[in-house]
Amino acid sequence: MKNFKYIITLTLFATLLLSCEERLDIDPQQALTNEDAFDTADKISNILIGAYAQAGQAASYGGQITIITELLGNNGELQWNGTFTDQAEFDAKNVSTTNETVAAYWLNSYSIINQANIVLDNLDVFENESQRNSVEGQARFLRAVTYFDLVRLFAKPNNGGINNLEDGVPIVVNPVTTYADIEFPERDTIEDVYNFITIDLQEAALLLPISNRDLASANAAKALLARVSLQTGNYESARDLANEVISSGYFRLESSLFDVYNNQDNSSEDVFAWQVTESDGSNALNTFWATDRFGGRPGNPDISIENPFFGIFDTFFDARANFFYVDNETGSGIATYKYISGVANIPYIRLAELYLIRAESNFILGTSVGNTPLNDVNIIRTRAGIFSLTSLRYVDIILERLKELSFEGNKLHDYRRLQIPIGELEYDSPRLVLPIPQRERNVNPNLSQNDGY
Amino acid sequence: MAYAIFVLLCCNTVLAQELTITGTVTDNRGIPLPGTNISVVNSTKGAQTDFDGFFTIEANKGDQLLFSYVGFLPQTVTVTNETKLEITMQENVEGLDQIVIIGYGTSTKKKIATSIGTIRAEDIEDIKFPSIQSLFTGQVTGVQVAQLSGRVESGFKVRVRGVSTVGASQEPLYVLDGVPLINEDESINNSPINPLIGLNPNDVESIDFLKDAAAAAIYGARGTNGVVIITTKKGTESKPKITLNTSTGLNFTTKKRDFLNAAQYIELYSEAAQNSGVSQAEIEARFDELALGRDWRNGEVDTDWQELAFQESVTTDLNVAASGGTDKAQYYMSTSYNKTGGIILGNGLDRYTLRGKTDVNITEKSKAGFNINLSKVTIDRISNDNSFISPLQSVAQSPLTPALLEDGTANVDGNSTLYQNFLGQEQTGRFVTDIWRTTANIYGDFYINDHLNYVSEAGYDSNRQSAERFSGSLTEFASVGGFGTVSTANTERYILTNYLKYNTTIGSQFDISATLGGSFEETTRASQFTTGQQFPSDDLQTLDNAVIITNGGSNKTKYNFLSYFARSRFDYANKYAMTLSIRRDGSSRFGSNSQFGWFPAASAAWTVSNESFLSNSQFLSSLKLRASWGITGNAEIGNFASQNLYGLTSYDRRIGVSPIQLGDPELKWEKTTQYDFGVDFGLFNNVVTGEIDYYNKTTNDLLFNQPVPGTSGFTSIVRNVGEMENKGIEVRLSTNIISNSDFNWNLTGLFTRNVNTLTNLPSGDIIDGVNILREGESLSSFYLYEYAGVDSDNGDALYYINSVNADGSLNRDTTNDVSQANRIVVGNPFPEFQVSLNSSMKFNNFDFAFILQGEYGASIFDQAGKFTSGNAQFFDNQTVDQLNRWQNPGDITDVPQARLNEENGQADSTRYLQNADFIRLRNVTLGYTIDPTFSSKFYLDKVRFYFSGLNLLTLTDYDGYDPQSTADFNGNSGVRSGVSFYSAPPAKSYTFGVNVEF
Repeated sequence: MKNFKYIITLTLFATLLLSCEERLDIDPQQALTNEDAFDTADKISNILIGAYAQAGQAASYGGQITIITELLGNNGELQWNGTFTDQAEFDAKNVSTTNETVAAYWLNSYSIINQANIVLDNLDVFENESQRNSVEGQARFLRAVTYFDLVRLFAKPNNGGINNLEDGVPIVVNPVTTYADIEFPERDTIEDVYNFITIDLQEAALLLPISNRDLASANAAKALLARVSLQTGNYESARDLANEVISSGYFRLESSLFDVYNNQDNSSEDVFAWQVTESDGSNALNTFWATDRFGGRPGNPDISIENPFFGIFDTFFDARANFFYVDNETGSGIATYKYISGVANIPYIRLAELYLIRAESNFILGTSVGNTPLNDVNIIRTRAGIFSLTSLRYVDIILERLKELSFEGNKLHDYRRLQIPIGELEYDSPRLVLPIPQRERNVNPNLSQNDGY
Repeated sequence: MAYAIFVLLCCNTVLAQELTITGTVTDNRGIPLPGTNISVVNSTKGAQTDFDGFFTIEANKGDQLLFSYVGFLPQTVTVTNETKLEITMQENVEGLDQIVIIGYGTSTKKKIATSIGTIRAEDIEDIKFPSIQSLFTGQVTGVQVAQLSGRVESGFKVRVRGVSTVGASQEPLYVLDGVPLINEDESINNSPINPLIGLNPNDVESIDFLKDAAAAAIYGARGTNGVVIITTKKGTESKPKITLNTSTGLNFTTKKRDFLNAAQYIELYSEAAQNSGVSQAEIEARFDELALGRDWRNGEVDTDWQELAFQESVTTDLNVAASGGTDKAQYYMSTSYNKTGGIILGNGLDRYTLRGKTDVNITEKSKAGFNINLSKVTIDRISNDNSFISPLQSVAQSPLTPALLEDGTANVDGNSTLYQNFLGQEQTGRFVTDIWRTTANIYGDFYINDHLNYVSEAGYDSNRQSAERFSGSLTEFASVGGFGTVSTANTERYILTNYLKYNTTIGSQFDISATLGGSFEETTRASQFTTGQQFPSDDLQTLDNAVIITNGGSNKTKYNFLSYFARSRFDYANKYAMTLSIRRDGSSRFGSNSQFGWFPAASAAWTVSNESFLSNSQFLSSLKLRASWGITGNAEIGNFASQNLYGLTSYDRRIGVSPIQLGDPELKWEKTTQYDFGVDFGLFNNVVTGEIDYYNKTTNDLLFNQPVPGTSGFTSIVRNVGEMENKGIEVRLSTNIISNSDFNWNLTGLFTRNVNTLTNLPSGDIIDGVNILREGESLSSFYLYEYAGVDSDNGDALYYINSVNADGSLNRDTTNDVSQANRIVVGNPFPEFQVSLNSSMKFNNFDFAFILQGEYGASIFDQAGKFTSGNAQFFDNQTVDQLNRWQNPGDITDVPQARLNEENGQADSTRYLQNADFIRLRNVTLGYTIDPTFSSKFYLDKVRFYFSGLNLLTLTDYDGYDPQSTADFNGNSGVRSGVSFYSAPPAKSYTFGVNVEF
């Protein structure tokens, strides 16, 4: 009897515990693991959308790329009023290697690239060819756009290929899905990076549908390649691609500037825009450029527009010279109307830019593919409500770019390709190039630092 | 016949010898001890004293009467012809023989060989503390306690023997009545909430800190940060006792800082503008904006924002408990209400608790019991330190800015206020968190034979939290028509524990006991949130009123532990003791390749004073030498840290999936090996007692967010890399200076020294903000530019270049261009040593106690210094010391020339690093107990009035608010430490209270 009691006790004891062992394997409920993340076409499509979402974050295309570029390119046209020291460093052209905004931008960029790489590595799950082509084209587009901004901001200017063999950024093509996949790359040359971008965009233009709702389309790939070509001085390619997009008939200029910006749906001139909705995406441009009445930070605004900016206008009646506001009677800084909504898409390539790319390329080449440079410039001027020019100098095209594309992240790159100094800094000053983030060099000793840091 | 004679003789004896004995039992102060057990040895006869300590018992002459009462030494009296007895019980004050809780059982201090610090109710019951962790402060060596900030709900940092981890939690494991408590911070705004906020400190019977590995190893994979075992009060075999505690307190901030007034502000900023080429007209136009058109030239506006941010508040506390029992069943029940006012505008909490605990002898061979604790806490919250609408950040606003408009509403004019005015949030916002906590456990203890018991326990813990936040028309969300968030998080844990306890004595001297068991524990967490915007009115704050529901989500997660443990203890002749234990832990959190681990420990002690050669020593009344070794783990990492994970995201309202984590399948717990050598001693008949411990803790396989190249698409991966060491010495000295029935004075001094070193860091330096992890340095060392003062010729801030010369020395030249300078390691946020002095005195009916606490050697970096004390770079109001700025060539000062919108000395440098040494009068309590012979006329056993002061005095050279207040938003970071950012100081409280027992 007594033994029986022992046996009962010990059996109970053992069963209570031993039955639990298999319960130690628990799968997460909010996340997928490697085994179940890539096995269907839908899942790979989801990762592609994930890459867009990554790109849309504030750290990169959700605003900071534009902010970094505009503040680096600022020579008194803007004033930084905010208290964030990172942005103050861009404005002062005195960026530290530990600048966290730079690091966040770098990390975000390679996160986009990795997701694009994962998509491109798993295309064989698609059975539907057109679907596969579209997904591949979009992944290539996202990868190209990311490398393009990286190489523009982290490497020397390369107008006319002068710095072809200098350090660009590391080109990573292998997807990283496990710890063992991690590489410690060196920086590839600027030329290699541009070649890589060009191939991705040429492929994308072939693979993508001509129109693809709000996602990347063949037109978007061509428009971006036109911009890349202009940046590298390949004017034929820039001209022809810009012309193809313009003549595709999918886009037309809005008649009012107010319809160009702060849209929840793409405007009719958006060739590609980063999408922001109430539930996803972010628009840091609103945070930094708007007064607090419109959702900006109380720097009011953090980035205000100063008098020297208005010197580029030849008439006070230019709609683009009046696209500003000051808040209340005591007067805030001058703020642009371009970013007055936090729930609005961020235009990335607009039709207006393509007219100006075509005009500039035709002007340089002495051609009139699609239209004459003068007509193209006047199309833009007409929309701004001002008189047409009767003759055209090269500088008129550049001025038109500065007016039309102001605060959209173009000035710095235009000055650097045209070799125009930014204030006291020569166009090729190392201070106009971002440093490779210190955290990155701490981890990967193969990465060289830029001059001046 | 013989039988009859025998009976007769017996009866005769009985009749002749049986006496009725009466008497009273009192303690050494003459206070009656109701409920004292009196038994006749070797018989079943027994009795208890009544309310007045009076008893009656029948006994024979020559019988032994045993008087016993918890906390007193048992007393035996032989019955003589005397039938009236006056028994005075002696308190059991011998420090070396207290009960200690060791996990899955108890022991006595005498028998253990490990380092366990114990706080008992009687040490603390006369002192008033706002929370359970604040009880720990200055009570146990090797335990550092710091409240993150002066918010009433604020989390604590409790560190046992330094910090042993970087990537996992640094908090100890809390075990409440056998249930390992949920200790995750569920705050929605990055300002941690104390997870133990629902515990009523009045319910605590004892707190045991398992400090060394041999003690903590019985908790295996979760023992590295130490284990804090909290035991709540239980009923005893006595008549019902009802206690009533009530108190009211006033709370103030411990410190205010000096900021510029309007006139000083105008002076400094006019000068800063001039120095930067900003015209007088421009700066005056800016002053006009700031003053919202008011006449600042004539002093029409001079706002003291700090005065608006702080408030004086009231705390009330009411606590009722009843306990008692018979030899069959004992009970304890209590309920309490606490309302704590915050010292910061908009902050405060209400706490309600209910506790019941019952132990029942079901049969002669089995015992069972349960206890349950319910609590609800409602907190009025404010933003975290890194928010413009945190009240304390309003010190950044200009004194020229009116806080309120004429109609009393907050001034939220974007040009007048530099930052969002927190009063707008106060007026049109709301941020409330409710926390419901249920902790319960039930046990059965079955007696199998004289040597073997079987114990089975089931425990449950639930922490449910709901947070509602609304920001209306005068907040930063005005432009979207108001913004609301509702979020809930519900964490539940159950634990099943079964173990066998065996003990036997071989011969007369050799005691053996053993424990063998296992437990399974599972924790699930579910959370939901919804956000909405565009509200029609500030008065309609629920999300039903939001025009747009902007976001929502839910999340579930789960983890578990399966554990087996065994422990055996040997004791020979009370001289030689040894304990061996082992635990095997498995967890779902670890990689599939290393799900289980072993955690062994051993300890031994030699009670030298029980050897014959010392037994008659007058000087050395007790001496014990201890040594222990053990391995513990730390498993507080993410639930799925070992896996490669992909999480949901969305773009343009389409579903997306993004990689969110790289995992290492080899991931396992951190392994800490600890040695401890200790001495316990008593001198002069234990008038002086002490403990000295030396320990060495080495953590291998440090769980780490190891940075990876960003080009991989990831920033870091949790891996086991690196090694860290903590070495230290702990000394406790206690003395009972005076001990007689009128005057009793105990004095205890504690000293703790801990040195932390990162001994191996294969990935190289890891820099996180101003903190660095570097091999050979302390964890979280400060990594800063070194400020070299001001160039007296031109007012430029100077920094030491500190580049490394060819000979390895540092280049001590200075530069005014911080980008030419190099950062160096300067100090760390951990104290080199901590001291405290606890005094408790009883003089007749008065009692007086205080706790002095000090820390030395830690540094604190003021991340807000560049804004609050940055010689007027930004328009942020400045501390008055900035008036010592450089003005003319030849000026000698350490405040650079004021330059508006130009950097001049505001880099993260040693300019903003200070020693955080302090000595604090943590607590002073003065009580008066009414003479019990008088109060008993009103049927009251005890009436005590007291006054208690918390944080009355802090001596420090630190200029910030408080040397222990650090940025709450870093509260859960393993690396970012010792950084303050508008961090609120703790409260200073004056409390008056009454304790009544009847």
